[in-house]
Amino acid sequence: MRVILVDDSRAMRMILRRIVGQLGFEIMEAEDGQAALEAVTNSENVPDLALIDWNMPRMNGLELVCALRDDPRTRDMTLVMVTTEGEQSQIVRALAAGAHEYVIKPFTSDSMVEKLALLGLVPNEAENAQTGA
Amino acid sequence: MTLQTAPTIEDLGEIAEQVWSSYLDPEGVNPLLPFEPGDSEKTRTRGESICASVSITGAWHGHVVVSCSALAGRHAAAALLAMEVPEVAQQDVVDALGELANIVGGNVKSTLPAVCMISLPHVISGVGVDSHWPAATQVCELVGEWLNEPVSISVWQSRSDRAEAAS
Amino acid sequence: MTLSSTNFTFVSRLVRQEASIILEPGKEYLVEGRLLTLARKAGAQNVDEYLQQVQSRPDPIANHMIVDALTTNETSWFRDREPFQALTDTVLPNLVTNRANHRGLRIWSAACSSGQEPYSIAMLLEDAIPAGWRYEIMASDISSEMIKRAETGEFSQVEMNRGLPAQLLVRHFERHGASWRIAPSLRRSVTFRRLNLSTPIPSHQPFDVIFLRNVLIYFDVSTKRSVLHNVSQLLRPDGWLFLGAAETTIGIDERFERVPAGRASAYRLRTPAPLSAVGKG
Repeated sequence: MRVILVDDSRAMRMILRRIVGQLGFEIMEAEDGQAALEAVTNSENVPDLALIDWNMPRMNGLELVCALRDDPRTRDMTLVMVTTEGEQSQIVRALAAGAHEYVIKPFTSDSMVEKLALLGLVPNEAENAQTGA
Repeated sequence: MTLQTAPTIEDLGEIAEQVWSSYLDPEGVNPLLPFEPGDSEKTRTRGESICASVSITGAWHGHVVVSCSALAGRHAAAALLAMEVPEVAQQDVVDALGELANIVGGNVKSTLPAVCMISLPHVISGVGVDSHWPAATQVCELVGEWLNEPVSISVWQSRSDRAEAAS
Repeated sequence: MTLSSTNFTFVSRLVRQEASIILEPGKEYLVEGRLLTLARKAGAQNVDEYLQQVQSRPDPIANHMIVDALTTNETSWFRDREPFQALTDTVLPNLVTNRANHRGLRIWSAACSSGQEPYSIAMLLEDAIPAGWRYEIMASDISSEMIKRAETGEFSQVEMNRGLPAQLLVRHFERHGASWRIAPSLRRSVTFRRLNLSTPIPSHQPFDVIFLRNVLIYFDVSTKRSVLHNVSQLLRPDGWLFLGAAETTIGIDERFERVPAGRASAYRLRTPAPLSAVGKG
């Protein structure tokens, strides 16, 4: 499975990279919505999943979600917002625009894996991995 | 309309706890240990420090600042970027602290009654740098110790906001 | 600074007793790290000093706080997902048929912890229960602190990220400072009570569904038996019992049989043989 990580923060891309890397995803990255859109539409294999930040230069995450849902080539991608925008109305906006799920920062690795499991994107063994004391 | 409500130190404590348990201290063995309110002098770092801030605009105007010693900054970068402390470069610290300010600032913003906007983070480092906002007043500050290094998280509100609220 | 072995042993025994957690040597760093905040709050210089204090003045509250600090909180919304799917897909249709006259359901979340389980059930029922039907949820836990927390219906950002679909978050929760609070109507549909399952439970109107998840694993066989016995006294004869993913009644209480419920397993009381089948002398 392929994922594209879209966030202008290098630190956040690295955090996400570690999590999805362990789940066996092939990873693409982009620093803003515009770069992500170009990478995805120019790619031979459209990613299955996109983890998208909201506040980015050139094209923000909400605009990217709209663009991806509008294009028949990318319409079937699973879109998950990963953002600090935590107001109820913002979540409603993102879901209405076509995002499938929403993760508010900060998030633990476990909770990100659980969200992806909710979307059917995680193989069973990873899902059942326990964290212990 | 200017909002009269502002984040509280309890909010900052909760936000800090979650940021630490998610990224900086996932095993729960190196938490941020808050100082008592009177001990804020302990955070005045002598030597190199880092100061990362985001600005909030809209119905509420102000800034959220995360500052710490250079060593704490390197530990933060090591934790976020999964590196060893000796491998950490200055750019790594800037990126890490910027993202921490973004996350803390975003969560502070979410406590406000109306949806506001948040800026990109701004990071400065050097000897004795400290958050100094001439046009703003400090609303609350959480100060503490992480890995024996001082850390401060503070919220500042623009003076013009407060003047409007008072009138 | 290394924890003294006496202090480490004290903590290991405590968490073993109260939470069935095994702390092997080598985990001293975990104890030091996790107890540092408690130690500072108590005015001690370090964790060793704090533990000395605690041992010289035995106090169940301090013990409880120590256990809490060392317990990993794995509470998630709709934990393991399949039992909740089973509730909507299998159990509810069955009960809707069998309770058609009554048009009401009673559900017990018997180890509710911080409240995610009963509130998850409430969110499901809000959508799945037919118009004109009522539901009541009782939630209990052995810890009165947990009950108090669960009663507030308030959860941190990190807790909200665990297994809760965003659609349900926006429908059923509101922001409250840096946390989220469940909608008052859902909060009202759950009644909280402190109950110890290994002692006889005060009589209640029986339940149609009981969630007894991830509790039995902490007990030895004879306590498992008592708990199952006490709990089953409150289950309707045709009711449904859900246990944790790794738990079973098999070998503990043969009155129950395991039945498939979607991709999950549930437990129901076996239908007793008719009395007339017993020979008269």
